[in-house]
Amino acid sequence: MATAASAVVERAQKKQVVVEVAAPSRREFLYYIWGASIVLLLGEATAGLIWFALPRFKEGEFGGTFRFTGEDIPAAGDPPLAIPAGRFHVAHLEDDRLVTLYGVCTHLGCLPKWDEGTIRFRCPCHGSQFNGDGTWITGPAPRGLDRFRMTITFTDGEVITQETGAPVALNGREIASLAIDSSDKVIGPGQGVTL
Amino acid sequence: MSILPFPSFLDDIKDKGFKKAIFEGINEVVERSTAGMNIQDIREALRGEAPTRRPNPRLQPHADGFWLHMRPSYFHKDMTGLYPEFRLGWLSTYFVFFETITGLLLMVWYTPSPTVAYGDMLNILGNVPLGQLMRDLHRLGAEFMVLIVCLHMIRTFMTASYKKPRQFTWATGVILLLFTLLLSFTGYLLPWDQLALWAVTIGASMIEAAPPAIVGENLNLLVRGGPDIGANGLLRFYLAHVLLLPAFLFIFTGVHYYKVIVHAHSLPPQKENIGEDTAKRVPLDKRVYFIPDVLTSEMMWIAVTTFLLIVLCVWFYHAPLENHADPQITPLGTTAPWYFLWVQGALKLGDKVLWGIIFPTVLLVFFLVYPYLDTSASRRYADRRFGMSLCFALVSMITFMSYMGLPEYGVSTAPSTEIIYRMRHEPTHGAMGILLPVPFDQLAPGVYTTRQFEGTEEEADEIVAALNAELDSFSFQTLDADRNPQTTPLRDFISGQLGLTHSPVVGSSLRFSTVPAASPELIAVMEEFEHELEAEGEALHNAIGIIAISDVQGTLRRADVLIVWQEVELEGSKPVLDENGEPNPLFNEDGSPMMRIEEGHTFIHRDSSYYMK
Repeated sequence: MATAASAVVERAQKKQVVVEVAAPSRREFLYYIWGASIVLLLGEATAGLIWFALPRFKEGEFGGTFRFTGEDIPAAGDPPLAIPAGRFHVAHLEDDRLVTLYGVCTHLGCLPKWDEGTIRFRCPCHGSQFNGDGTWITGPAPRGLDRFRMTITFTDGEVITQETGAPVALNGREIASLAIDSSDKVIGPGQGVTL
Repeated sequence: MSILPFPSFLDDIKDKGFKKAIFEGINEVVERSTAGMNIQDIREALRGEAPTRRPNPRLQPHADGFWLHMRPSYFHKDMTGLYPEFRLGWLSTYFVFFETITGLLLMVWYTPSPTVAYGDMLNILGNVPLGQLMRDLHRLGAEFMVLIVCLHMIRTFMTASYKKPRQFTWATGVILLLFTLLLSFTGYLLPWDQLALWAVTIGASMIEAAPPAIVGENLNLLVRGGPDIGANGLLRFYLAHVLLLPAFLFIFTGVHYYKVIVHAHSLPPQKENIGEDTAKRVPLDKRVYFIPDVLTSEMMWIAVTTFLLIVLCVWFYHAPLENHADPQITPLGTTAPWYFLWVQGALKLGDKVLWGIIFPTVLLVFFLVYPYLDTSASRRYADRRFGMSLCFALVSMITFMSYMGLPEYGVSTAPSTEIIYRMRHEPTHGAMGILLPVPFDQLAPGVYTTRQFEGTEEEADEIVAALNAELDSFSFQTLDADRNPQTTPLRDFISGQLGLTHSPVVGSSLRFSTVPAASPELIAVMEEFEHELEAEGEALHNAIGIIAISDVQGTLRRADVLIVWQEVELEGSKPVLDENGEPNPLFNEDGSPMMRIEEGHTFIHRDSSYYMK
């Protein structure tokens, strides 16, 4: 009986253990605010650190903007112009469209080479193949070659900025200058997509 | 009265005599520098006697000294043998220090810049005394460290040592595994050779897949220091390898070991009752004291392990160094380092984000929280059928996925590319093209064909003459500059492919000749070439293998490897076979066979020592 009674008392005592939390005092509240400001500061410092460490791009270097005159651009149907410094190819397709292809295979980062005999890019690593406009033909690559954005200035003064990276139809017009932004690639078209 | 105006050692000499004072002075220095053990205590310990002083002086270095403050003063007798820990945790720690020391030494001769890094490697290998040994030790140690840490993890899982109260110890161990992998991976890039650049490119390509796109792209830029691994990327990998990651590794090694000591090494599962953890309560007769038993045993193990590593590096292992990194040329058969092959295998299963990022992350998080999920009390092997099965399933899965990550699995290269690669590729992954080791003197200039080896030795002259005759009448279609079909004689086509400027021996009239009998090793290579073409006979119909050797400079020869074959009907990359198992050769519109050609070449210098290896 005694043990049962003490158990009841114990249970009652346990129930009574309700921690009464006073409203934060001024001092406590100010500590929380101070803590929050430290967290905020750390967040800002992290953002600053990322900003600090992100690479900067220069004109004419890979990652920067490349500029070409109309004379640099290959004629329609010619092999694509390879720019090793920028790791891209400027392809002037047979049907007079212009596209800039990032030269890195979408599979695992190897460098496909243009094969004039079979009119396609072939990757030396795992045999992916791509058309002149970068679309996927075969191989383990998940999609066609990625593209870069171009700004084309025609001799008649018109300026086209190609935001999607898709081939631009020139319709026989002469190019005065071409600017290629190699800092940010546009994901290439999926397998089976033709443009 | 003091001799000097203050108490000094001279007073001791005056009081006790010179000999005694000197001895007591030395004794005190020893006791102070060992934080509690004087000469007598040390000699008692080494003689295997019980300590005669109280309190036990052998516990003092643990209580008062810095170096042993984190080492327990005694171990359980059951934990000092090979089973159940196999010294794997100890070995992991050993390699942390081993890699730090060899790494610091290598840093003396290394500059993280693409313009000098490779030159520094050659300098370390060729000029620095013991430089190659130091590099081999560092590289082999890194490979062993990854292996040992993985085995340590498997052992801990097997004996269920991750269970309460050691869950957090396990979690810090998983973090240490991650840092070990990252350290090894960042070190991969530093030699700035082809293997380094492309293995790391493939690895870093996975970072780019992290969702959402903006995170992946920026992470990629942060790690590579540009859209591409260059000077910035090398510097970042170097800094991560020598500063950031080691700092984290040391901190977490400290946390991990502190937890190991707090909870003590878990006993073998069968040694204690289910649900009990008696590791901390070591009976007096089961204690093995750190001083002297464990300390001397560890010193012995350090010596043995270091000795084994040195033996391996002197006679059996050399860290690979390939050609200078070339961001414009990807070598064939590039893979990630072996401990990341499983990720590469997973990538072949489908989506890059799912298998390259989400899958490894889920696996890592699963390992981290596993001890908090599996809360069953028993550590006995028989009670843990599910856990054991899970362990073996995971080990099998990782092993199989690593196999899937090999270039052989699931990626098809055109057979012609593959064969040419096997003939002439530069030393990669510890192998090289079979043409490379042929002695320079045996590379007699001329144009040779595998056809010669299709018949008997006596028929060789006849076969080659027949092929030369056939060449005159053999032509097929190619596309000219305006993409109009154009009939080209095979002779012109091959001559064109060989590049007349490079191959004065070929000239305008291509003629095959038989391989001189004085070149037995070249003959062996040609025979192997013929076998490989025959093995791929279905895809490479009527294939002719050609090796053309020409003098470029007096001491440099160029070897062109060509395969000419008739195109067959393909489905994917496999030839379509008819009911007789024969491939279906293709013809041009004018009825001529549709011929294909593939070429590769290499230069061999008289002083190149490929054949000596």
